Amino acid sequence: MESKDGYKDGARMRISRLAIWRAAPGLMLFACALYVLVAPAAAQDWFRTGTGLGVSKPKVAVADFVSRNDASAAMAALFSDVVRNDLDYSGIVDLASKSFYPTQVPSVPMELNYQAWSDPPASAQFLAFGNLTVTDTSEEIQAWFNDVKNPTAPPVVGRVYHGDSNEEQTRRYAHQFADEIIARLSGGLPGVAATQIAFVSTRSGNKEIWAMDYDGANQHEITSLHSIALTPRWSPDADRIAFTCYPTAGSILSAQICVYSAVSSRLLNWPRYRGTNSSPAWSPDGTKVMFMSSMLGNPELFIAEADGSRPRRLTHSTGADTSAAWNPKTGQQVAFVSDRGGTPQLYTMDADGSEVQKVELPDMGYVIDPAWSPNGQLLAFSWRRPNGNYDLYVMDIATHALVELTRDAGRNERPSWAPDGRHMVFESTRTGTRQIWSMLADGSAVRPLTSAGQNESPNWSPK
Amino acid sequence: MSAGSIAVRGRNLEGGLKGPLLWSFVLHSLLFGSLGVSTILSHRGDLWGGPGGGGAVSLKLVGGLTGVPLPQPESVTTNRVVDESKGLYKSEPKPKPKEPPPDAKQIPKFTKEKQPYYVTRPSKTLEDPTPPPQNAVPYGQGGSPAVPYSQFGMGANGATNAGMQFGGQGGGDFGGRFPWYVDAVRNRVSSNWLQSTVDPSLRWAPRAVVTFDILRNGAIANAQILQSSGNASVDSSAMRAIQGSNPVNPLPNEYSGNKVSVEFWFDFRR
Repeated sequence: MESKDGYKDGARMRISRLAIWRAAPGLMLFACALYVLVAPAAAQDWFRTGTGLGVSKPKVAVADFVSRNDASAAMAALFSDVVRNDLDYSGIVDLASKSFYPTQVPSVPMELNYQAWSDPPASAQFLAFGNLTVTDTSEEIQAWFNDVKNPTAPPVVGRVYHGDSNEEQTRRYAHQFADEIIARLSGGLPGVAATQIAFVSTRSGNKEIWAMDYDGANQHEITSLHSIALTPRWSPDADRIAFTCYPTAGSILSAQICVYSAVSSRLLNWPRYRGTNSSPAWSPDGTKVMFMSSMLGNPELFIAEADGSRPRRLTHSTGADTSAAWNPKTGQQVAFVSDRGGTPQLYTMDADGSEVQKVELPDMGYVIDPAWSPNGQLLAFSWRRPNGNYDLYVMDIATHALVELTRDAGRNERPSWAPDGRHMVFESTRTGTRQIWSMLADGSAVRPLTSAGQNESPNWSPK
Repeated sequence: MSAGSIAVRGRNLEGGLKGPLLWSFVLHSLLFGSLGVSTILSHRGDLWGGPGGGGAVSLKLVGGLTGVPLPQPESVTTNRVVDESKGLYKSEPKPKPKEPPPDAKQIPKFTKEKQPYYVTRPSKTLEDPTPPPQNAVPYGQGGSPAVPYSQFGMGANGATNAGMQFGGQGGGDFGGRFPWYVDAVRNRVSSNWLQSTVDPSLRWAPRAVVTFDILRNGAIANAQILQSSGNASVDSSAMRAIQGSNPVNPLPNEYSGNKVSVEFWFDFRR
């Protein structure tokens, strides 16, 4: 409020003028101090934003990467296709249709015509572009990701990749570039383009552990035990895979836990226990393994160190307890399957075996294969309702709200979350044979990953 | 003879018209009656779209899975044309000055008019005589902008980004230089905002504003509520959304500063 009467102001000014002369040195010092305090604050950047009305996906275009010489044409096409595919499947962007792209393709930022890409029909907000040079032994990829709606803004991502020139390496660089883009656009959640999926396949005659890239490329056999291998589980550092194996001891086949090292490509020593031992699960810190064992008679859950030593019994029930899954966020809670109530149902307990609770569902039926989402909020499982097939469901563990992810498409079992919490891999019989499929975690964008032989029990690597 | 025959014929015609008319009336009423009956019969118990009726398809839309960090579908808000909220300053259109009385004179009255028993005078209004400042919000046009919020998408509108961030004095132009970063932070926090943890009886809440700093490495610091929504569960869900997003991506390499302050608002509605 301004003061109404002028004469008071005048009087005040006269008084303050006198005071200023007297207090001049002090005031000067005060002003200096004020400047020192305020100057950095003025340089402080800030922005405002908010939520409440949903989020729109940015529209992204991926220009064909320009090949600098004849040798690089195939690699350039492969690189742009993989980046396009990765971004499309990330679930967080809309890919602009390729047929709407301008004819002029930039290879370096100097050649980028912002207007042509940001205007209709392409209407892109971001553009990935770059160039490839391939020599006899090596290749160099320059890749940029620019905000074409803001020509003055610096590139969001600018990378140079330099390495061996082969298809596998080109794919890896494309995945890295796509992951970088996805991490930037999603606010720090890393992409999963560089992750792997372990699974069980009968392609080589026996059930062996296989692994593939997250998009189904590069499928390769990991174990060759010539017996049966089941339920692979990646360790949290993605260095080891624990699985159920059937080593031959004389003529008796007994299920045991085996651990394969992805670093040294061989099996690690793991003790063998009496009875049937199966379905291992790593603790989120990688120091413990929980597994089902009948070493004391009844199939119960046991916890052991990562090297298999010091097994301790966790559950005490008349039924069989199996398929443990740790809450990866807290490491304090474990979901498992038990038939102590007559049929296989989902239970949760604390990691020390206390606080066993049944997960109540609104219908009867078999419930198997629990899998925690990486943020620990959602539990995915396979549920066979009395009148139906096995279908995948996701439950919010706090509110017990359910969402059905699959329906009327064969048996769908064994969900496994990707580390970004946006994707899920599972096995399905929707094409007649048992195969591995992946989808976005809201049930959309289902795509097949395998087609040869019978493939089952997928597990997404944590990194 | 001929006339007689005509008369006979006419009488025959007259006699013949009554019968057909009667028949036509009876048949028409039968026709309409049967139409009505068949309509009632054929549609009995067939409530279109009702439960158990044919042709009705029950659709349940899953808007999105909270907890899965996928972008939630954009919801459309209606454009509010009229805004009832008042501005800060009173600048109502002034009443029109009274028109001068016409020339015609009233006939003077000779009887003395009675004084009213109570004399009411207009009370003195203590209005501020200072004129409103230049940038005052005109009367009746305050409140939130009467446009769809989707217009305010960061980065989507080019470099201007109306309404979302302030450049210039003290503010820098972070949002103008790195709109993708602002978008990314918004997406991340939005996907971590679990609206299911809000009091279920609440349908709507005023805007909650949370401020925090993003450090060089993407860590979130100093998160605090600047403006409460008035509901503790909305406030705590907003704070949890911020804490659950920690850390966001590191600040862009091209940005020279050590930290960026963020003002993040949460509009809760079901």
